Amino acid sequence: MSLVEARNLVKRYTADGPKAVDNVSFEIRDGEIFSLLGPNGAGKTTTISMLSTLIRPTAGTALVNGYDIRTEPMAVRRSIGVVPQDLALYGKLSGRENLRFWGEMRGLGGPALWEEIDEKLALMDLTDRAGDRAETYSGGMKRRLNLAIGMLGNPPLMMLDEPTVGIDPQSRRHILDYVRELNRAGAGTLYTTHYMEEAQELSDRIGIIDRGTLIALGTLQELTQMVGEHEMLRLQLYQPEAGQALVDGVRGLEGMHQASAADGEVVLSVAAVETTLPQVLTKAADLGLSIRNVEIREPNLETVFLHLTGRALRD
Amino acid sequence: MPKVVTLALKEVKLSVRDVGAMVTMLVTPLVLTMAIAAAFGTGTGGLSNVPLLVLNQDDGQMSRFVWEALTAQNVEDLLAAEMVYDEADARARVEGDAAAALVIIPRGFSDRVVPVVGRVREVLGIDLLSLDAESAEALPEEVQEEIGRLVLESREPDADAVVVEIYASPNWRISAGVVRGIVTQVLEQMSMTAQGTTIIIEELIARGAPGPEAGEGGAEWFPGVADGGFESLADRELPVRVEIVSPTGRGFRWLDYSATSMAILFLMFAVTAGGRTLLAERQAGTLSRLLVSPTPAVAILAGKMGGIVVTGLMQVLVLWGATTLVGSYWGAPLGVVAAIVVLVLCASGVGALISAWAQDVGQAGTIGTAVTLVGSAVSGTFFPRWNLPAWVQNLSLATPNAWGIEIFSALQMGRGLDGILPLLGGALGLTILYYVVALIGFRRQFA
Repeated sequence: MSLVEARNLVKRYTADGPKAVDNVSFEIRDGEIFSLLGPNGAGKTTTISMLSTLIRPTAGTALVNGYDIRTEPMAVRRSIGVVPQDLALYGKLSGRENLRFWGEMRGLGGPALWEEIDEKLALMDLTDRAGDRAETYSGGMKRRLNLAIGMLGNPPLMMLDEPTVGIDPQSRRHILDYVRELNRAGAGTLYTTHYMEEAQELSDRIGIIDRGTLIALGTLQELTQMVGEHEMLRLQLYQPEAGQALVDGVRGLEGMHQASAADGEVVLSVAAVETTLPQVLTKAADLGLSIRNVEIREPNLETVFLHLTGRALRD
Repeated sequence: MPKVVTLALKEVKLSVRDVGAMVTMLVTPLVLTMAIAAAFGTGTGGLSNVPLLVLNQDDGQMSRFVWEALTAQNVEDLLAAEMVYDEADARARVEGDAAAALVIIPRGFSDRVVPVVGRVREVLGIDLLSLDAESAEALPEEVQEEIGRLVLESREPDADAVVVEIYASPNWRISAGVVRGIVTQVLEQMSMTAQGTTIIIEELIARGAPGPEAGEGGAEWFPGVADGGFESLADRELPVRVEIVSPTGRGFRWLDYSATSMAILFLMFAVTAGGRTLLAERQAGTLSRLLVSPTPAVAILAGKMGGIVVTGLMQVLVLWGATTLVGSYWGAPLGVVAAIVVLVLCASGVGALISAWAQDVGQAGTIGTAVTLVGSAVSGTFFPRWNLPAWVQNLSLATPNAWGIEIFSALQMGRGLDGILPLLGGALGLTILYYVVALIGFRRQFA
C-alpha cells in the first residue's frame, strides 16, 4: 500500500499569485524514506503542509494512509507524525511536559503515554534533562525533543520538514540516525531537505523539486544516471566575488555541460575532467583569478540538480 | 482529559511560569491600588452645584448654623442646597440620584451641642433660649439655683454623641465626601469658637446680667455656677458625629474604587497579552503543530481562550483577596463572583478581538496597550467615572472597564446579585459582540 499518493497538487497563496507548488505528483511506498530535495523556496514546506492538512491545496489532492487530505483531514492527522522546521515547543514547559501535552493533543493518554514518553526521552538521550524547562536546552536538544514529539504514537508515516536546519554536525548526525531507526521500526518517512548529503544518505527514493515543480524522481542511482557520464568540478577562488565572471568565461569550452556560481564557489559539470580542467585553469589565469582549491566529484545529486536546472543546489 | 481542558491548563501553566506576567497581573495592580488609595483618601476635585438636600428635624438655633454654612457664599458654587421637610421623599430623591446627598440634622441637635439648654428643658421644662430678662427675673430662687447646678453639670462630657446623617447616593460618592467635609468643618468651628458658651452668655446678658463678664453674670443670676464654669464649655468637644450613609449602608472610599478599577485595568493587560500568545504561537510554529494534530480548530481556539479566562479569573480572585485583606470592600461575595466571571469573559473578548485582527505580535501588543489605556481612561479607572461628561460615560460602555466599574460600584453600594443582573446582562451582550467580531477575524486569518 502507498503511504502517500499525491496527485497534481497545486498551491497558490493568493488568487493571482505565482504557484508555490505546481502540479506535483508522487508516491511514497510503505516503509520507505522519501526525500524532497530542493533549494530554499522550492515548495518543499508547502507540499508537506498540504499533505499534513495544515493548508488546503488550490487544486489536486492526495491520499495519505488511504485518507483524502481534502475530505478526511482528521483521519489524515491521526495517521501521521509531523516534525516541523520550526522548533514547535513550549519553552516554559519541561521536556516531559511538552511530550505529555503533545501526546494528549494526539489523543494519547494514560499509562501507555507515560511509558512512551520515557521511551522517547531515552531514545533522544534527554532523560537526564526531562524535568528541565525546554528553554534551557541546547539547540540540538531542542531539535531532538522536536523530533520526539513528532514520533509520539508511533504513526505509520512521519513527515519531517528540514529537521536538521541550524544545528551542529553532531546533533545532525544524531537526528539522521533516529530517522533511520524510525524507518527500521517500520515507519514510512517523508523527509524534506536542501542538504544533498542528507538526501543521498537517507533516502530510498528522492524527488527533486525546484520552483514548485517536481523535476526529477527516482532512486539515487536512477537520478545520477540522468546526468550520463558527466563529472563535477568544484572550484574555490581567492576572489569569491568573481565566480560569475569565470562561469561566463568557461561556458563555451569543449566538454563543458553546465556551469554555476554560488557562495564563492564555481560548480561545473563536464564530460571529461582531464581535458576540461586545464582549459578552465587557463581561463581563470586569463581573467586574473587565483584558484584556491579544486575538487573532482563523481556524479551526485548536486550534479543532477545542476544538470536539470543549470543552477547549483544552494543558489 | 478533554483536549480543550489540556489546552487551557497549558495556557495557565505558561502564564504562571512567566515572572514578568505575574508581576504585571498581580503585584503592579496591588501596589497601584494602595498608592492611589493612600494618595487620594476620600478626596475629590472638579465639583460644582452638587444637589444637596437638608432635612432639619431640630428646633434649636444650632442647626441653623449648619444650614447657613451649607448655603454660605463661599460654597454657593459648590453646593446647591435645598431645605426639605419630608424625609421619605428626600431619601427617595437621593436613591434616584436626583440629589447627591441628604443631610439630616436630628431632633435635639442644638440641645446636644449646647447641653445645658436641653438639660434645663428636660429637668425644669424651661426653654432657656426663649427667656428674656423679665421672665428670668421672675423665676423662683430655687429654680435659678437648679439652673446653675445644671450649667455646671453640663461640663461633664456626654457619653452619646448625636449623629448627623449624610444619606449619600453611591453615584455621587465624591460629592458626599465634600458635604461631609463641610458639615464636619462647621461643627468643628462651632466647637472652636465656643458657640455654646456664647449663646448661653448672650442669653444671660439678654436677661439682664450686669456686663460682658459672663462668668460673673452667670454666677449672679444662677448662684450655683462656680467661677470658670462657662469657659470650660468652650474647651469641650462637641458631642456630634457625622456619618455618611448610602442607601445600602456604605460610603465612597478610594480604596474600594481603585481596588476594583485597577483590577479591571490589569485584567485587561493580562487578557490582551494572553490574546497575543495566539499570534506568538503562530510565529513560533506551535499553532501549526496544533493544527496538524487531530484536534479541531474550534477546540484549539476554545482551549486557548479558556486558558486566558482561567488565568484572568485567578488574577482577579487573588486581587480581590489581597485587597480585601488590606481593607477594601468589593461587595457581596456572590455578586462579586458573578461580576468577576462576567468581566473576565468580557475582557477575554477584547483579547480575542485583537489577536483575531492584528497582523503580528508587535501590532497586537501596540493595539492591546492602546485599547487598555484609552478604555481605562474614558471609563474612569483613574478618577471617578461619574465626573466624566455623560457622553463619555455612554461611549465608554463599549469597554469592559466601564461595565466593571458600574457593576462594582453597584456592589459596593450594597446591591446583591439580583441588583446587578441588568449590568451583567449588558456586559455579557458586549462579550458576545466581541467574540462574534473576533470569530470573523479568526476565520479570515486562520482559514
